[in-house]
Amino acid sequence: MPDESTAVDFERTFTPHMDAAYNLARWLVRDDHDAQDVVQEAYLRALRFASGFRGGDPRAWILAIVRNTAFTFLKRNRGSNSPVEFDENVHRGELEDAGLEAEAVRGADGTMIRDALNELTEEFREVIVMRDIEGLSYKEIADAADVPIGTVMSRLARARGKLARSLKERIAKES
Amino acid sequence: MNCDDARILLHGHLDGELDLVRDLEVERHIEECPRCASEFATLRAMRTRLKDEAFHFEAPQELKDKIRRALPAAPNRSVGYPSRRSGFVPRAARFAVPLAIGAMLTLFIVPRAFGPSGNDLVAREVVSSHVRSLMGSHLMDVASTDQHTVKPWFNGKLDFSPPVTDFKNDGFPLVGGRLDYINDRPVAALVYQHAKHVINVFMWPSDRDTTSVERIEPEQGYNVEQMTVAGMNCWIVSDLNQTELKTFAQMIRAHG
Repeated sequence: MPDESTAVDFERTFTPHMDAAYNLARWLVRDDHDAQDVVQEAYLRALRFASGFRGGDPRAWILAIVRNTAFTFLKRNRGSNSPVEFDENVHRGELEDAGLEAEAVRGADGTMIRDALNELTEEFREVIVMRDIEGLSYKEIADAADVPIGTVMSRLARARGKLARSLKERIAKES
Repeated sequence: MNCDDARILLHGHLDGELDLVRDLEVERHIEECPRCASEFATLRAMRTRLKDEAFHFEAPQELKDKIRRALPAAPNRSVGYPSRRSGFVPRAARFAVPLAIGAMLTLFIVPRAFGPSGNDLVAREVVSSHVRSLMGSHLMDVASTDQHTVKPWFNGKLDFSPPVTDFKNDGFPLVGGRLDYINDRPVAALVYQHAKHVINVFMWPSDRDTTSVERIEPEQGYNVEQMTVAGMNCWIVSDLNQTELKTFAQMIRAHG
């Protein structure tokens, strides 16, 4: 059982990141109730493992736990749709531009952007959520998602490319 | 640089994550290549859209309460850091009433606890200045990530020379500086960034020569750190969370 000083440190260090934790969980499991369960579970796990926190970025640390908890949740409850082996390689032609104009992005409906993001696989979605919505640095994403820092940029490049293509299709369907 | 390389590096460029040399290469490529320029514009537009608050889910209050309740009980939990304003008043109130000398205590305690002290007034000023700097276009007079550009810029504009350090490698890049007016005097305002948060650091000479740190209560939702370092009054304001702002304050102190 953690002693009192651990509890105080834990609260000061990690509770300021509850919004970040919930935001990530919510985007990953795409449901308010499930996201709350995931975050609560993640904080309990974090409390158990708090002694393993050796300084560093507390937000990245708690997000790593949230992420793992969310993936476990998805696998258990929904038979995760994410591939067992996530392919890290950038494929030929994959980064060709989507032919989506900046102007179209600016005029796009918010719901459309949300849907396009929700359609990405979790690995792609989380990297966009961490970088563009939560504002994490590449280093923090690398820590949270447990990938080498060099992988972060290529994964982001692929994720944003897919998001642009998906958004373009949605815009085309609409008009 | 060819387009294949640029296609990935555009993202590092957009996110400010490339080293200077690479960054300039990408910039040059964008100038020469209309296709990559258009792609970059699209990426930037997407990022701008995603930054909108509407895409950021905030944790429901009931969840926050549930998590806090699940933590083992600890002293000072709800109070946070002890402070004059939040710590002293309830304690005083608890004793004053049963002792029936409330009136007498009130005379002494209330002005101290509720009347704004000098620091409270300065805290209000720096927060207002921080908010103003974000609302208007006047965040910076000198926009530069180079401490050797920012520091000399203050020469001749102030009667002191503020210490200027870039903490880019620690995740807090310097983005510029400006002149501001706090506590009835011109002061140096240094602007730093951390993720999407802007941090204002206000500095002016102190008449105290000791290094001291004082905890200031959050003001209008902004976190404030105050310290005296290297003979300078130093006030740090941001919407950044308290933990990270504290870390940043420690960096400044270590370089003071």
